[in-house]
Amino acid sequence: MIEIKIKTNSQMASQKALIILVSVLMISFYSVFSIGPMIYAFVGSFADWNPIKDTFQFIQFNNYIHLFNNQLFWKSLKNTIYFVAVVVTGRVVLGFLIALGLNSIRKYKSMMRSLYFLPVIMPIVAVALVWKWLYDPNIGFFQMVLSAFGITNVKFLFDPDLALPSIMLMTIWKDVGYAVIIFLAGLMDVPQSIIEASEIDGANKRQQLWNIIIPTLKPTLIFVIITSIISYFQTFTQIFIMTKGGPGTSTHVLLYMIYREAFQYYRFGYASAITVCLFIVIMIVTFIQFKIMKGGEV
Amino acid sequence: MTKAKLSKGLIFTLLLIGGIAMSIPFIWLLFSSFKHNKEIIGYPPTFFPETFTLTHYLNLNSRFNIGRYFMNSVFLSTVKTVLAVYTSLLCGYVLAKFNFFLKNFLFKIVLFTMMVPYIITVIPVYQMITDFGWKDQYIAIIAPTILSSFGIFMMRQYIKTGVPDELLEAARIDGAGEFRIFHTIVIPLCVNMISALTIFLFLWNWEDFLWPYLVLNTQDKFPLAVALNMFSGQNTTNYGGLFATSLVTILPVVIVYFMFQKRFVEGISMSGIK
Repeated sequence: MIEIKIKTNSQMASQKALIILVSVLMISFYSVFSIGPMIYAFVGSFADWNPIKDTFQFIQFNNYIHLFNNQLFWKSLKNTIYFVAVVVTGRVVLGFLIALGLNSIRKYKSMMRSLYFLPVIMPIVAVALVWKWLYDPNIGFFQMVLSAFGITNVKFLFDPDLALPSIMLMTIWKDVGYAVIIFLAGLMDVPQSIIEASEIDGANKRQQLWNIIIPTLKPTLIFVIITSIISYFQTFTQIFIMTKGGPGTSTHVLLYMIYREAFQYYRFGYASAITVCLFIVIMIVTFIQFKIMKGGEV
Repeated sequence: MTKAKLSKGLIFTLLLIGGIAMSIPFIWLLFSSFKHNKEIIGYPPTFFPETFTLTHYLNLNSRFNIGRYFMNSVFLSTVKTVLAVYTSLLCGYVLAKFNFFLKNFLFKIVLFTMMVPYIITVIPVYQMITDFGWKDQYIAIIAPTILSSFGIFMMRQYIKTGVPDELLEAARIDGAGEFRIFHTIVIPLCVNMISALTIFLFLWNWEDFLWPYLVLNTQDKFPLAVALNMFSGQNTTNYGGLFATSLVTILPVVIVYFMFQKRFVEGISMSGIK
């Protein structure tokens, strides 16, 4: 028999052409729109870089020195971490409970799932506007409900203590459905035979949850937690639409600070220094993820 | 037995209450959009409209060129999604099935860029777009998403096992060129993955706000999300008009969702599979 991998010259040529096409496409794309800009941002964070004045002068660590002495940076970082901690916890815990519930019912399952999932696909700008009106102290739905219980004068987005939690609630409402769907897919992998066997052995629901369901879902849980952390560190649109960082600086998060420095004051170098800090924080989180994944599972 | 039934009933009731609570913002918006402005700001506030009106919907197009913005969004989202899905298949196929000198390096770049916060590239890319003279043009929105690391990764993982080598070898023996193999064998085998990725990217592109907001200046070019933000800034007290406009921007995705419900759920679940 002749060698099976015999190829004609034109086939060899087309294989080569395909590999070269993809290599060139990927290398040029990533250098222009991804890796290149990252290096640009890193270098620019050491410069007085202003696109309006058309300046790009190196000023050593001045951007970072100013940044670390800026109270607003620390306040924004604190707000961001607070936001990430609450929303990730809310999304994961509620998402898990809802998925467990949905997994156990037979009737109306897809209708129920839709109720939880629909906010995920709604455009964030429209959703943020709707919630801004829901929270409105004069015309809002929440005001209407609270006043039925005799509680008035709750200012929600205009109250420095309530503004960020209000946005957190909206964000959990919008995003919990995504976690529900991912967890539902993960729950399908829980081996039914083991659940049944454990029932025969007299295990109760709680034991099944902690000893069978949660260990099986662990990779899914970690996936949702990590991707949520990375995306919530970059929360912007709802802040921009609902409060613009206010009242005062109570909802001022890192992305909003970057936006203001870069696109209102055109301090590109200074803003880049903030993005570099954010990048480092997220890399640390991702690194910890890999440690946990390697240590605990598979 | 009855205890188990009781707890089943309790779970169902809790889920139903939660589900209704989830839909309240949407229902409130729907009802309020049929109220007169006087009723919306009146006291005491109402949930159901006392007098039903279609004014806000009838006036919609005169103050807010919804058709135009809608078509802009459809155009941008479609072009961006089709391009990224096609390049994801192409790059994913080559990374999955061929051995060549740059392969591992390219795959590592894909993995790395998936983890990097997008915001770090926004400022430099904005500067570049300005330097290229691309500001206020759709190319500024389309070009930076021609490739999708997420899409390439998803396709590469799928094609590695989902497209059998024997099939590719057989086609090669029959004398097919690589580009024909890609288009007539690889792509048809990835239909489920393609629909999942399409849904994911389309949703992403449809709600994209910051980047188009930064690079576009001409109103007529705005996608729906940017236009809605502008409209809300100009009509702060015309609540009814705002409600109707917001509802109209939300409704298309809801309708599309109910048409392709199963595909949506599959698509979202696939993003979690590693």
